Amino acid sequence: MDWAGWALFGLVATSALTAAMLMAQLAGLTRLDFALVLGTLVTEDPDRARVAGFFLHLCAGQGFALGYAATFALLHRATWWIGALLGILHVGIALTVILPLLPGVHPRMASERAGPASTAVLEPPGLFAINYGIPTPAVTTVVHIIYGVCLGLLLQGN
Amino acid sequence: MTGGPETTCPRPAAPISDYGLLGDTRTAALVASDGGMDWLCVPRFDGEPLFGRLIGGPQAGTFRIGPARPAAVVERRYRQHTATLETTWAVGSSRLSLTEAMVAEVSGRLLPTTLIVRRLSAEQAPVDVVVEFDPRLGERHRRPRVHHRRQALVCEWGSLAVSLSSTPELRIEPGRPTSIAVRPGHPVTLVLAVAHREPLIHVEPAAAWELLSEDETRWRAWAAEIDGTLPFREHVVRSMLTLRLLSYSPSRAPLAAATTSLPEDLGGVRNWDYRYVWPRDASIGVSAFLSLGKTDEARGFLAWLLHASRLQRPRLPALLTLHGRHVPAERELPNWPGYLDSPPVRIGNGAASQHQLDGYGWVIDAAWAFAQAGHRLYTETWRTVRGLADVVAHCWKEPDAGVWEVREPAQHVHSKLMGWLALDRALAIADTHPLRDRQRRRWQKSRDAIAAEVRTRGFDPTATSYVRSYGSQELDAALLVLPLLGIDDVRSPRVRGTIDAIRDRLSAGGPLLYRYPPGSDGLPGTEGAFLPCSFWLAQGFARTGRRTEAVEQFQAMLDYASPLGLYAEELDPATGAHLGNYPQTLTHAALIQAALAIRDAPDY
Repeated sequence: MDWAGWALFGLVATSALTAAMLMAQLAGLTRLDFALVLGTLVTEDPDRARVAGFFLHLCAGQGFALGYAATFALLHRATWWIGALLGILHVGIALTVILPLLPGVHPRMASERAGPASTAVLEPPGLFAINYGIPTPAVTTVVHIIYGVCLGLLLQGN
Repeated sequence: MTGGPETTCPRPAAPISDYGLLGDTRTAALVASDGGMDWLCVPRFDGEPLFGRLIGGPQAGTFRIGPARPAAVVERRYRQHTATLETTWAVGSSRLSLTEAMVAEVSGRLLPTTLIVRRLSAEQAPVDVVVEFDPRLGERHRRPRVHHRRQALVCEWGSLAVSLSSTPELRIEPGRPTSIAVRPGHPVTLVLAVAHREPLIHVEPAAAWELLSEDETRWRAWAAEIDGTLPFREHVVRSMLTLRLLSYSPSRAPLAAATTSLPEDLGGVRNWDYRYVWPRDASIGVSAFLSLGKTDEARGFLAWLLHASRLQRPRLPALLTLHGRHVPAERELPNWPGYLDSPPVRIGNGAASQHQLDGYGWVIDAAWAFAQAGHRLYTETWRTVRGLADVVAHCWKEPDAGVWEVREPAQHVHSKLMGWLALDRALAIADTHPLRDRQRRRWQKSRDAIAAEVRTRGFDPTATSYVRSYGSQELDAALLVLPLLGIDDVRSPRVRGTIDAIRDRLSAGGPLLYRYPPGSDGLPGTEGAFLPCSFWLAQGFARTGRRTEAVEQFQAMLDYASPLGLYAEELDPATGAHLGNYPQTLTHAALIQAALAIRDAPDY
């Protein structure tokens, strides 16, 4: 297990994912904003939420990188394509499990069952997060593949 | 209980104003006074119709419970300050009542997302009633796979399932009328539950009835917060409830109307899908909510708009779906006969790609009203508002489709005025929010340029009135918002002249107004009087100190409400029939704004 590689390259891969996601947002492809979604767990001010969410996202990225690094260690090799496959697995879990379950635990995210008494204003992601724009599943898949490829290449090189 | 013939009962089409609205803030149903639920889309307002008889004819499905034979309606009303509808018929010497509602608050409990409760009760003597349950899903009127489970009828279409249970237990078959006798003291309760991509949740009819009572308590508490001294308060409360029922709670998006393709011109082509969100109409609704202290609703809308418009920022889309997505392309449904055999039935909306400058004014005005009420805009909200104002400063000279979404762009004076409003209100917000000097100067320059141009090219000095578009002598009832803007003093001859000219030259008789001269929008056929304009006239009178005229105008408009206090978009001046999609957010928002203006009318 390459602990130093994990500590450094986890941050690099998460930064690459974040940058790719930001570009997709700026290009008008998706409204999914990881920093906002995570940050509004702790504050309702969108600007403060983005700051808090950015760090939460880095932490989450580091946590997932641990899983990638452990998988590479188990397989005794790290390659870009294994990273890409892990990225596909990762995004599959994110889109089908993590995001759909969020309205159940997120204090500021409405659910599809929200009624008049609900004061939660953050829109629920819906199936495959398509409430945030039809291309969202494709965009998130691409950015997670980038994340996996980064880790595969960097840990391989290390 | 007996089974009836395997055909649906022939029923004459009901007038649009005959329909009552049931809603849960996620979807809505329309119910005629004969007990026919002829419109319900699932699982959301913009989903597929489950009951579409309203515009699809008998083969599109219905859910009717009511007297077995024609009976006179002796009373029909909403329970005060609630969303529960009560219809009472005289049947011989007996009375039969239908009490119904959708359960709005299901969050945090094991309840179906859509739950409709309908209870029949008789007084004096038993009454024969009929239950006709004929769900047909979607464009092709798909029949369900039918099962009977746990005393409930279950209808399935893949990922969608509907259950119908009752107390006492009834053997109901889809598409086959069931006759029963309702005895005094022994009400019949039917519960319809909808499951979409989740298991059905069975709710006992007695428990569902309790849920309905809990909802009523919540609605009454919500209504009790509305200013008790407001003129025409009961009408305002009904309009507020209607606006709230048409606001989609999961995203806070305010819907324009619950229906598609109710005709603005019977036999004409003016049938549109209004199950989407127009930021303009929504902003007017937000201002109404805000003026009556409903801050959560206003905050929710701004949050939705901020989120929804991100994909197209800084441009403001003319309309969006409930989740802020692009509106589907407009298309016609073959084999749907339309309301009163008035096709086409359309889904999607072709106005989505239009440039409508006025929308920026409405939205920034709503943000300004929010800031005026003492709320600070989040940095990102303010950034979005700045982006919208920049668009206005940059492109206000371009022709646009205008508030009426005409297919041929023009230099609409109302759009220019709203562009002026956008910049003026953005500058007002900047008094308490950070703004670069260069940006401020650019906005000021554009605002002043709009004012100068509109006063010269958009004003007809001989008629002492602003006009519909540059170089035109036609009028536009949207100009009735002039006293709200502040571009001219409310006592100026320009403002008074415009209001009087519109009242005189666009009159459709009595308090009714056409939005522009009939037949001048490039579409074949004609249309009715446009109801929001009549309330804007009342508001204009009030804002310019003509309170008596405002009250008379408002009072006269109340006579045109449906028996349940609801309004469509338009009205046939000759017959008084409601036309267009129903109930209409814009009309109800205009009613509220007019009542508020009357309350606050200055005394000049």
